[in-house]
Amino acid sequence: MGITTRRIVVLSLLGGFAVVMALLPIMGMPQTWMLYLIYFFVFLAAANMWNLLAGFSGLLALCPAAFIGLAGYTMTILTWLNIPFYVGILVGGVVAALFSILISGSVFRMKGVYFAIGTLVVPEILRLVFLRWRPVGGELSGGGAGYMVKGVSEVIMQETYWLGLAVAVASIILIGIILRSKFGLGLAAIRDNDTSAASSGIDVFRLKLYSFIIAAFVMGVAGAIFYSYQRYIEPNSAFNIRWLMIVLLATVIGGKGIEEGPFVGAIIVVILHFQLARYGEISLLIQGIILVVIMLAVPQGITGLIRDLRRSGSFRPG
Amino acid sequence: MDTLSDLATPLTMGILYGGLYVVIALGLSLVFGVMNVINVAHGDFVTLGGYVAFVAVTSLGLDPILWLIAGIPLFFIMGIVIQRFLLYRAFKMSIDAALIIAFGISLIIQNASQLVWTPLSRSLMTPYSFKSFQIGEVYIPLVYLLDFIAAVIVMLVVHQFLKRTYLGQAITAASQDRQTAELMGINPAVVYQYAFGIAMALAAIAGVFLGLTFPFNPTSGVRFLIIAFGVIILGGLGSMVGTFIGGMFFGLSQALGGYFWGPTGQLLVPFLMVLIVLTIRPQGLFGR
Repeated sequence: MGITTRRIVVLSLLGGFAVVMALLPIMGMPQTWMLYLIYFFVFLAAANMWNLLAGFSGLLALCPAAFIGLAGYTMTILTWLNIPFYVGILVGGVVAALFSILISGSVFRMKGVYFAIGTLVVPEILRLVFLRWRPVGGELSGGGAGYMVKGVSEVIMQETYWLGLAVAVASIILIGIILRSKFGLGLAAIRDNDTSAASSGIDVFRLKLYSFIIAAFVMGVAGAIFYSYQRYIEPNSAFNIRWLMIVLLATVIGGKGIEEGPFVGAIIVVILHFQLARYGEISLLIQGIILVVIMLAVPQGITGLIRDLRRSGSFRPG
Repeated sequence: MDTLSDLATPLTMGILYGGLYVVIALGLSLVFGVMNVINVAHGDFVTLGGYVAFVAVTSLGLDPILWLIAGIPLFFIMGIVIQRFLLYRAFKMSIDAALIIAFGISLIIQNASQLVWTPLSRSLMTPYSFKSFQIGEVYIPLVYLLDFIAAVIVMLVVHQFLKRTYLGQAITAASQDRQTAELMGINPAVVYQYAFGIAMALAAIAGVFLGLTFPFNPTSGVRFLIIAFGVIILGGLGSMVGTFIGGMFFGLSQALGGYFWGPTGQLLVPFLMVLIVLTIRPQGLFGR
C-alpha cells in the first residue's frame, strides 16, 4: 500500500467536493440547480458502473434499464406496503443484483456481440412483463402497470439530493478501489484478452459475474433514487432505451475505460438533457449525432483526448 | 375439434407472417456474418424503408411493391454510403465502436422520422390490403401470403447470388474466414460495402412488407431488431435454412402467444423462447 502524495491530493479533492456538494442545499441553492445536480448524481453513478462493465470488464451490457427499472419498481411497490422509501432504495439495489445473478446464467454464455444483443432483449422482456402486470386486491389494487410512489409527498428534494450525492460518491470510490485491487487487475487482463487471462489462472466467469452484480446493485440504487424523486413509475419509461442512451453517451463522451471519463461525460449529458429538453424530439436526434461524431472524431473521449494531448506535450494546463 | 379449428387460423397466419421476419433477419445476418457486427440500426432501416414506401404510396400513388424497383437501388446506395463513411471507420477502431455508431444511427433515424412523419402509427394502404382468401375453414389475409412469397423469393435470390456470382462468393468467403479471404485477394472494405448495401436493399423490401402487414411507428425499429435477432438466434447464425425456419418458428410462437395471452403475450412468448434457447443451446437450434 504505497500512499503517494498524488493519491492524497486526489482523495482530498474528492472529499472536499463531496463536502461542498453536501453543504450546498443548506446554503440555499436554487431549486433548479438542485434538480440538475440530482440528475447529475444519478447519471454519474450509472455511467460509472457502465464504465466498469464496458470499459474495464469488456462486457458491453445493453441492459442498464433493466436494473434501474426493476429497482425503481421495487422501491415504489414497497412504499405501498408502508416500507420507507430509503429502505426501498436499498432493497431495490438488492433486487437488481439478484436479477443480474438470475440472467447471468443465460447472458454469460454469449460472448462479445451476442452478449450485447442478448442483454438488449432483457429490458424489453421486462417492459412487456410489467405492462401485463395487473395486481388485484390488497394494498396494491387500483394501479395499472404504473404506480405513484406512496407517502413521499412530504419528502423534500434535499433528501433525494443527499442520497444521490451519496451514491455518486460511493460509485467513484468503488471504482477507485476496484481498479487498484487484484480484482481490477484481473478485469483488465480479461478485457485485453480473456483467453490468456484464463490461462494465467484468472477465473474469468467469476470476475465478470462480480462486476456485473456490483454494477447492477449500484445502478439499481441510483435508479431507485431517481424514481423516488420522480414519484411515478411506469413500464415504458422505466425500461426505456433512454437509460442506455444516457450511460452510453456519458461514458463515450467522457472516455470509455478511463476512470474520470464518466464524470466529465455526465456533466455534458446533464447539460444536453436540460438544454435540449425544450426541443422535444430534436433532443435525442442531436444526442445521436453527437454520439456518432464523438465516436468517429474522438473515440477516446474528452478525458482521453486531454490525456493524449498532455502526453504529446502540446497541452499544459495551468 | 373446436379448439383445433380455432388454432388453425393463428397457426397458418404465424407461419405466413413469419416470412416477414425472415426477410428482416436475412439483412441482419448478412452483415453479421461478414463483419461480425450486429447492426443495431437494422430495425430502424426497415421502418425507414416502410416510411419511404409510405411517401411513395401517398404522394405518388404507387403500389408499394412496384415502388421497390426504385426503392431497392436507393437503399443499396444509401447502405454503401453509410458503410463507407460511418461504419467502416468505426469498425477499423473496434467492434464496440461500430456497435455504438450503429446505435447512434438508430437514434438519428428514429427521431428524424418522428420529426418528419410524426409519432403516429402508419401502414401502407393498397386495394388488396383487406382482401383475404379461404383455405378450408380458415380465412387468411392476402398480405400475409405475400409476406411468405416474398420471403421465399428473397431467400432463393440471395442464395443463388451468394453461390453463383463472384461477389457473392467473395462475401461467403469473407464470412467464413476473413484472413484467408484477404490472402486470396479479396478486398474486405469492398466486400463490407456490398454486403451492407445488400442488407439495406433487404431492409427496403422488409419495410414494404412490414407496412403492408402491421402498423408501424418511428420506434418500431427496436422491436423488429430484437425480433430479427431472435430469429437468427433460434435458427443459428450463418445457416440460411435455419433463418428461414427460425422466422416461421418466431411467427408461430407470436401468433400462439397472442392467441392464448392477448396482445402483450404476442412478443413476450417468443422473447422468452429466445432467452431459453440461448441458455440451452447458445449456437441456436440449427447452428453448428
